[in-house]
Amino acid sequence: MQNCNTTCPYCGVGCGVSAEVRDEQVIRVMGDGDHPANAGRLCVKGTALAETLGDEGRLLHPALWGKRISWDDAITSLALKLQETRENYGPDSVAFYLSGQLLTEDYYVANKLMKGFLGSGNVDTNSRLCMSSAVAAHKRAFGEDIVPCSYEDVEACDLLVMVGSNAAWTHPVVYQRIEAARRANPQKRIVVIDPRRTASCDAADLHLQILPGSDAYLFSGLLNYLVTVDCLDRDFIDAHTDGLGETLQAGAGIDIPAVAAATGLPAADIEQFYEWFAQTPRTVTMFSQGVKQSATGTDKCNAIINCHLATGRIGKTAMGPFSITGQPNAMGGREVGGLANQLAAHMDFAPQDLDRVRRFWGATDMTPGPGLKAVDLFQAAADGKVKFLWIMATNPAVSLPDSALVRRALERCDFVVVSDCTAQTDTAAYADLLLPAAPWGEKEGTVTNSERVISRQRQLVPAAGESRPDWWIVTELARALGFGEHFDYDSPAAVFREHAALSAFENDGSRAFDIGALADITDGDYADMTPLRWPAPAGGDAVEPFSDGRFFTASGRARFIALRPELPASEHGELMVNTGRFRDQWHTMTRTGRVPRLSQHRDFFSISLNPEDAARAGLAEGDMVEVGNPLGRVRGLASLDAGIAPGQSFVPIHWSGQFTAAGGASNLIPAITDPHSGQPQSKFARATLTAPAMACWGLLFSRQPVNCDTLAYWSRIAVAGGYLTLLADAAEPAAVHATLSATLPAAPDANGELASYEDACSGDYRAAQLIDGRLEYALFLNRKRGALPERGWMSSLGGEQPAAEDLHHLLAGFSPDSEDAGRLVCSCWEVGETQIRGAIAGGADSVEALGVALRCGTQCGSCVPELRQMLAEPKADCAA
Amino acid sequence: MTRKLLIVGAGMATAYLLQELQRYRHALDITVVGDEAEACYNRVLLSNVLAGENSESDLGMLGEAGENAPHIVTGRRIASIDTAAGIARDDAGDDYFYDALVLATGAGVPRPDVDCDGVAGVRVFRTLRDARELRALPSKGRRAVVVGGGLLGLEAAHGLNELGFATCVVHRNPVIMNRQLDAEGGLQLQRDLERRGIAFSLGAQLAGLETGPGNHIRGLRLADGQCLPCDLLLFATGIVPGTALARDAGIETARGILVDGRLRTSANDVYALGECSQFGDTCFGLVAPIREQAAVLAAELAGAQHEPFRVADYPTQLKISGVEIYRAGELDDSAEQLVLRGRDVYRRLVVRDNRLVGAVLVGDKRGGTWYSELIAQGRAIDALRPGLLFGREVGEALAAAA
Repeated sequence: MQNCNTTCPYCGVGCGVSAEVRDEQVIRVMGDGDHPANAGRLCVKGTALAETLGDEGRLLHPALWGKRISWDDAITSLALKLQETRENYGPDSVAFYLSGQLLTEDYYVANKLMKGFLGSGNVDTNSRLCMSSAVAAHKRAFGEDIVPCSYEDVEACDLLVMVGSNAAWTHPVVYQRIEAARRANPQKRIVVIDPRRTASCDAADLHLQILPGSDAYLFSGLLNYLVTVDCLDRDFIDAHTDGLGETLQAGAGIDIPAVAAATGLPAADIEQFYEWFAQTPRTVTMFSQGVKQSATGTDKCNAIINCHLATGRIGKTAMGPFSITGQPNAMGGREVGGLANQLAAHMDFAPQDLDRVRRFWGATDMTPGPGLKAVDLFQAAADGKVKFLWIMATNPAVSLPDSALVRRALERCDFVVVSDCTAQTDTAAYADLLLPAAPWGEKEGTVTNSERVISRQRQLVPAAGESRPDWWIVTELARALGFGEHFDYDSPAAVFREHAALSAFENDGSRAFDIGALADITDGDYADMTPLRWPAPAGGDAVEPFSDGRFFTASGRARFIALRPELPASEHGELMVNTGRFRDQWHTMTRTGRVPRLSQHRDFFSISLNPEDAARAGLAEGDMVEVGNPLGRVRGLASLDAGIAPGQSFVPIHWSGQFTAAGGASNLIPAITDPHSGQPQSKFARATLTAPAMACWGLLFSRQPVNCDTLAYWSRIAVAGGYLTLLADAAEPAAVHATLSATLPAAPDANGELASYEDACSGDYRAAQLIDGRLEYALFLNRKRGALPERGWMSSLGGEQPAAEDLHHLLAGFSPDSEDAGRLVCSCWEVGETQIRGAIAGGADSVEALGVALRCGTQCGSCVPELRQMLAEPKADCAA
Repeated sequence: MTRKLLIVGAGMATAYLLQELQRYRHALDITVVGDEAEACYNRVLLSNVLAGENSESDLGMLGEAGENAPHIVTGRRIASIDTAAGIARDDAGDDYFYDALVLATGAGVPRPDVDCDGVAGVRVFRTLRDARELRALPSKGRRAVVVGGGLLGLEAAHGLNELGFATCVVHRNPVIMNRQLDAEGGLQLQRDLERRGIAFSLGAQLAGLETGPGNHIRGLRLADGQCLPCDLLLFATGIVPGTALARDAGIETARGILVDGRLRTSANDVYALGECSQFGDTCFGLVAPIREQAAVLAAELAGAQHEPFRVADYPTQLKISGVEIYRAGELDDSAEQLVLRGRDVYRRLVVRDNRLVGAVLVGDKRGGTWYSELIAQGRAIDALRPGLLFGREVGEALAAAA
């Protein structure tokens, strides 16, 4: 057995993970106590990493048009098709669409091949959807994409403003550090700005529940307020900034009443926030997808940055505007230039930059300029302009806005290559060529987290099947295309050395991103590399960006950005649609969806609504609800949430066609993008709410996924030993029973046994099938949703081995002795809602007491906000 | 002063009557006259004896001989009764004077509807003697055909099958036990018995016999022309109440000896109970009502008070070759049905107007008595409905949880 330190592949916090490996198996993972990001902490997703490995559902071999082929043939056809496309339609007919899940080395090689040797800028990435507005805002204000804060600043500050961030769920470890700092420093204040009351509001002194998209009003108003209360840092402004005048002109008249009108906030709350901000020098404004995923995301980020420039609160300890990224290596991608509007190593497309990079690469066919950004890229494919598209480690059929457009693009594009670790994704379904890419734990490389810390992802187990690291795949292609001498990499270390060398190449302090110190790192040192925060120029003496007041614009001065706030355009329907992440799922669930305990906190696809809105639509908790607009629709269970403001709704982003019938939030999202960053407005759509009547509800446990596409609704989760599917349809149970009976696995009489129950008048149909003494499936259908068995009991069926004589008794749908734990709240210790309410009723009156009684909340702490909520509820409810 | 009580017939009805009489301090001098060599054995267990699952010693039903123990005469058949004089005479010419007479003459086997006279290897299965003789027959490699797919026929078939006969049951109705079961329940039981090696020829009309040397049975011909070869042909086509003695004595009979709610016949001081009796339109073949008759009659004879006998809806509760069967109430196909089907199980409940009205359970009779209660009480079952078919524990637990 050995321990190996690596980095978590989920969110942008970039926690260090220590993995226990025995005979080529990851036994378990723990937080790496020495990693600066988490110092030993892990969230529930990270804790469950070991359970995401293994061959199940993996893409293990290259396949061309559904037929398995060798890697040699795969690389050859890749090269031939690419060359043919370029010759017939020109360099811009070819594109790569990358991912914040890729490692820096993968990113570097793909970016170099496209921009230096294929003559196109068409390399973009799903990071476009994540934080490109922050990149654009940083470049506008600082002259370079630099994040001027660290997690320590978040801990040390006296006022933390969280804007459009539900860190408690999306960046749990940072949130834990915030809570810990709060306990240590009672004076510390936290303001959460979010249209939803989220778990993160649990720690907030003030929650500003603004109208969606009105953030820029709030911060433009703040800037004006800072002027009126004379809280500007004149010296800093004069010495290190430009453009305050124009900016104030642009924002003229946005006073508290105007802000109140635009944001829907009480003036008193706004004033409170402004006062605190004005009075508190040590202020960090942490902003995330809530502001970035907007048609005016870049302006919103700059509105925030403006306030920090005006107060000189930047480049100093415990101060600054802090963009938290969503993905594990969005930052690494930005560093290599893996975005269509960046060149490489924080250089752009200015002639001298292009020339510098060309010379460094020995490029034979340098791109003349930027390429197509994600949404434009898929639009171009839909228009027939992009004819060769290579998608790496991402699932745009689910994640890009206007899914219908994306589907058209993937259908129209001549040759679609998908390299992924998962065999069945909504995107892979469109692939001509499928390439098995090695996932987390099976490959080597580096990632950079939200606070500019570069750390290693290490290989823990051998790559499954014929999986290969992405850098290797791209390198092989480059060689097949005849660029071998320029892609002479034998390891990720070799790629990293070149990347580091480029960051230092003709830099001389002109670019903050300089890791020249690592340009000659030996394979051994790379193998042992410990986390390191850039910059790290050769010869040491790294300066913390902006600490010297120097920015990376031509003038060396930061720029205030003049902007006029705008609210999102309103079309199609009254209901506002917001989107985001759940606590225990990651992206499109290709990995987390395989882990039973990660599907227990939120099980079946549901849509969160304001309780009054729901009541008006005649909807109760769990009823079927449809949210639609001319672009598309989603159908899910109504989840009543007082944290959702009236007139709004929340759709989680995780559900793909692999897990539910109609759950893709992107189906509703128009392909509206920010003019500066090209980032889509993924957090805002308009739609109408309907309540389709369901005549049949069902729960199905099955060993294998059962195709339910004929039904109006289905949603599937992994459970021990199989899957649990919730079904609903407008047809009567009898009809649904007939339909499903045709699909369900049958067994020859010899080794199978079927038991069935029917009460036709009640629409109550049940069936269970044993094959070789093992339960193959158990199906329960009923007109009434409430008449179905407990989900907890259904989820346990895969573990039990019911004896043949018990099979018909299993159809009772319940075991008199079984006690249902209820919906899982603490995923680490698998503690359910019913247990927790029981303990509270039994006198547990604090999170700590619950921890002692049930251990819930004592590991990753992600569920602590929810525990507090339950403790806060009146005891009467607890009994229910 | 003591009264003389004469009981004609020494079957199970008599055994129950004697048990019931022991409850009372009575001054009856009891004599029982039975024509079999053994008195008061448990006929229900005969098929188990045939199958070797019970021994003869398991059959005894008489309590310890004690105070006013009955005087039991076996091997004698009462040939005539003079109800005016209060005298009965047996087939050896002995007279029995009585103050009260109980006819418990049981039932016999109906005449086969094919001519079997003088054919060897054609038998019935009714008495312990029959059982002994059947057990004595060579069975290995031999084939037996049982005519009658009712309770008696199936029990006999099970016994013969266990003895080693290759056994086939011939039944007029397409469904076995069609008196107690519905078509699907009958089929379920048939499947179970087939799995145990018993063959079936259903919806069959008898045409005639095939005989061989020594006029020994060789096969049974059916109306459809097919012939079922056999070395043994057993008739188990139900029972006919034993009324001859009563009829000859001028006592009113119909299918059975007519009795009133106090089990009195048309003749003074003459009573009847058991398979020979008829109450209203009903004759009796199952244990439950006959025990009830015995209780009523014992009280009557002891001069004690008792509710008069009524025909209640007695659930049928059986075990045929290990397969549990329970049937209660009416199986109204036009009402609401709750049905559970498994490999070894068929359970059906019939619900009308939110009341349980019928139940048939094959292979698993869990909850049977509960269903009978619910049927009798006529309780509303909507709360119990989701778990009703899974027995009391589950049904009530689910109702409580809802």
